Amino acid sequence: MYWNPVVETMELEKLLELQLKKFQRILRWAYKRSPFYRRLYGEAGLEPGDIRTLEDIQRVPVVEKGMLREIQRRDPFPYGDILSVPLEEVTEFRQTSGTTGQPVYQADTWQDWELWAEAWSYVLYAQGYRARDRVFIPFGYNIFVAFWAGHYAAEKIGCEVVPGGVLNTEARILKMKELRATAMMATPTYVLGMAETARSKLGLDPRKDLFVEKITCAGEPGASIPSTKRRMEEAWGAKVYDHAGATEIGAWGFECTAQPGGLHVNEALFLAEIVDIQTGRPISEPGHRGKLVITNLDRTAQPCIRFDSKDIVQWDADPCACGRTFRLMKGGVLGRADDITKVKGVLLAPASIEEVVRSFPQLGDEYEVTVTKRGEVDEITLKVELIPEAVGAEESVRSALMDQLRIKTNLGFRLEFHPYGSLPRYEVKAKRFKDLREKEG
Amino acid sequence: MNRKIELDALDQRIQTIKQCAVELKALPHGIEAVRRNAERILASVKMLEINVTHLLELED
Repeated sequence: MYWNPVVETMELEKLLELQLKKFQRILRWAYKRSPFYRRLYGEAGLEPGDIRTLEDIQRVPVVEKGMLREIQRRDPFPYGDILSVPLEEVTEFRQTSGTTGQPVYQADTWQDWELWAEAWSYVLYAQGYRARDRVFIPFGYNIFVAFWAGHYAAEKIGCEVVPGGVLNTEARILKMKELRATAMMATPTYVLGMAETARSKLGLDPRKDLFVEKITCAGEPGASIPSTKRRMEEAWGAKVYDHAGATEIGAWGFECTAQPGGLHVNEALFLAEIVDIQTGRPISEPGHRGKLVITNLDRTAQPCIRFDSKDIVQWDADPCACGRTFRLMKGGVLGRADDITKVKGVLLAPASIEEVVRSFPQLGDEYEVTVTKRGEVDEITLKVELIPEAVGAEESVRSALMDQLRIKTNLGFRLEFHPYGSLPRYEVKAKRFKDLREKEG
Repeated sequence: MNRKIELDALDQRIQTIKQCAVELKALPHGIEAVRRNAERILASVKMLEINVTHLLELED
């Protein structure tokens, strides 16, 4: 049940003590070896010896992604002076997707790469992956970190791993069927897209014709959005589990087989803090949303210490039925601080729209939201598709959808119904929210 | 207490492996295959330390 029962069921007080010791160690490591961190802490008047308690950690400056972009113009090429090991010890290069700007390059030693796989091993073992599983990864492995570490972790657990790299969607589905794959890893967008392709192009019902028992999602928050999770589980007849991580951080959070409606933070390997979005003050009470500031406690080549992840999260007050003492983040990653936008003066998180759309069985999986300006007034348009079985139900769906959107977002939407299959389909991460106001201005 | 004893026993073996791998890596045998594979063993040993040895440090 547990990858490491000693640490996963450790009393919280002991876990926090462990985190403090490890934080002090990685801080000393970075201060001694990385000119970037020494400069950052020097400017803040801070030395590693100043951190004696968990509260002291709040004095340590937060690292933003923009700072990494800046220092990566320095030597040693291409990582900049954050690098904390000799360049010849770096064995892995990955980069961020660049969705929010210039990509950040990430260096790892082989030991760091083992750590990536170790963190993912906690994830997959908690989700029921075992040596008897045949795991299919329908993903074009590339310069991004996505699913590489999941692959290595599945091997570490003893699973048989099938890399479904350059195959197209139909070929992947047929190979999964032929090999009777029992598990797979993909983005929620692709999990839904594969099911649709199986049905529409191959005449296969993933629930009956394939053998997948569990699916691990990454890259998008969908597996923690109840209506999207339900869609995926119903389409595949499989359990769907969420996981959270990032290139600069590692795989820090995971859902377990108890499916508690949230993510466990791997508190053996990461220190997670939630801070107020405006003030940066720490939030320790459950139910209060804030930004995740996170430290990878063991990563050496390019240490990640108090990194501003921009993920919006909240602590859960309740323990998990699985028995882990690793704390839960209720609802998983609830959004991104840089995704939250004001429309008509109301703060809007795009994930709340997804939750509503996916709760309507008459609607297809795809949708698109655009925000524009008409004169001085914001206008928000939602494009959806009725599934073929629901054609004719437009008016009743329109009315109910408008009501639910109003309840969840406090906004009035302009609704457009498009023919089934006409909205864009995505293979990896979807871009369904488009704010066109600045471009128009 | 029993858990502590169990972890101590595990750690003793981990440190033995580590010592052997460190020595193997440092020996002047001129065999790159040995040196690099010893290096990889040490990366795995670090994961054992993270899962066992670091937890023992709480008892110190």
